[in-house]
Amino acid sequence: MKRKFILLITVLVAILTSSCNKLGTTPPENTRVVPYESEDFAMGTVVMQRIYDDNGKKISKQVIDRIRKIEEGMTINKLGGQINKLNEFAGIDFVELDKDDIYILEKAKEYSEISNGAFDVTVGPLVKKWGVFSDNPSIPSMDEIHSLLGIVGFKDIKIDKPSSRAKLDKKGQVVDLGGIAKGFAGDEAIKIYKKHGVKSAFISIGGNIVLLGGKPDSTSWKVGVRDPRGPEGSYIAVINAKDKAIVSSGDYQRYFEKEGVRYHHIIDPRTGYPADSGLIGTTVVSELSIDADALSTAAFVLGLESGMDLIEKIEGVEAVFITDKKKVYITEGLSDQIQFEDENEYEYIEKR
Amino acid sequence: MSMNILKKGDGILLVIVTITIIISFTAVSIYKRNGSEGSKIAVIKTKNKEVKRIDLSSVTKPQKIQISDEYNQVILVENDRIRFLESDCSEKICVNTGWLSQKGDVAVCIPNSTMIKIEGQSEKVDVITH
Repeated sequence: MKRKFILLITVLVAILTSSCNKLGTTPPENTRVVPYESEDFAMGTVVMQRIYDDNGKKISKQVIDRIRKIEEGMTINKLGGQINKLNEFAGIDFVELDKDDIYILEKAKEYSEISNGAFDVTVGPLVKKWGVFSDNPSIPSMDEIHSLLGIVGFKDIKIDKPSSRAKLDKKGQVVDLGGIAKGFAGDEAIKIYKKHGVKSAFISIGGNIVLLGGKPDSTSWKVGVRDPRGPEGSYIAVINAKDKAIVSSGDYQRYFEKEGVRYHHIIDPRTGYPADSGLIGTTVVSELSIDADALSTAAFVLGLESGMDLIEKIEGVEAVFITDKKKVYITEGLSDQIQFEDENEYEYIEKR
Repeated sequence: MSMNILKKGDGILLVIVTITIIISFTAVSIYKRNGSEGSKIAVIKTKNKEVKRIDLSSVTKPQKIQISDEYNQVILVENDRIRFLESDCSEKICVNTGWLSQKGDVAVCIPNSTMIKIEGQSEKVDVITH
């Protein structure tokens, strides 16, 4: 009887522990950690954060406060801020700026130079004229475009770093940081996460994505590459990445149509017209999101050949190019990190 | 005598162990269901404030929700899905986004600062570029 009892206990313990093992192995405990997620409207778009940390709420608030501060200083769509002041004093005098503004202006000039002006923050007067961000966009006359092109030129941004001042040389010049400020803000968010010891988080500032670490189970984040012709939330491929910034540019983000022609928001600073390079979307993967932001615009304006050349010249930067024929090209370094989704509509080209 | 006590103990143990097994299995199955399927909660936000929270799995009849802010919008809720049905904003990106039915799905109207999100995370993709 005693034996029977021991046998019974053994069997029961075996059953119990085996079921416990199952519980423990599928799936690992830490993947079940509930993240803190937030969505806020800022910088004229929606900011989404996912933070794996007990203080997620507090940290996400700090990030949003920082982003709103950056927006206040750099916007040209609302009154106030240092960039508005820089523009007001164009052709007149130097203006005192804080070190963030100087850093961004220097970065902007750097990318203008390496892209031969395909990216240029002094495109402001043309962006305003086209009004793609306003409720009443219109096609400017050729004369208007021609005269505005005369005041577009990154070389006219004069930076005096020691005194933290900058000046625009010509009257009427307008710096528009729309193509780079969100990128900067994304990098600042990651700094705040790190300061709080967060190991796993991401932020999306209007689809400009910056990843901190990987997921809590140490696998990569899965980032969808927006389908330029599909609805919001559709994607043509998934990029697996950790600690990377991923930013897309395209003709679908903001546009108006007149007589069957699509006029989108990325104005080519060299022609004065919406970029017409044969691309409908570019996505850039890099360490810093300020770089990804500027480079995705530059690559979009440059087109497949020159854009690819530019990206390949810069170490640690990868890209996806989507042409108006719906052909998709990627840089070599991305090939083992990307899975294509919609093989029916898009054609994936292995070799350029 | 001693045999009898053991037998009694056997019985009690058996009951305890059985109950433990049943409880743990139930707990695991509930846990798993919540992890992958479970209830789908849609959250509607305007101007960074949550205005409504709906359990989509418990919706039986279609219902419409009016949003009156800078722009007027109509949100349609059905069993297991939700969408912006109408909006008098200029670009209608929110309406064109279509139905949301999976965890992590989001539709946004930037001009009106409105959004719908189904709480939770998608298994296929964490976040999408724009």
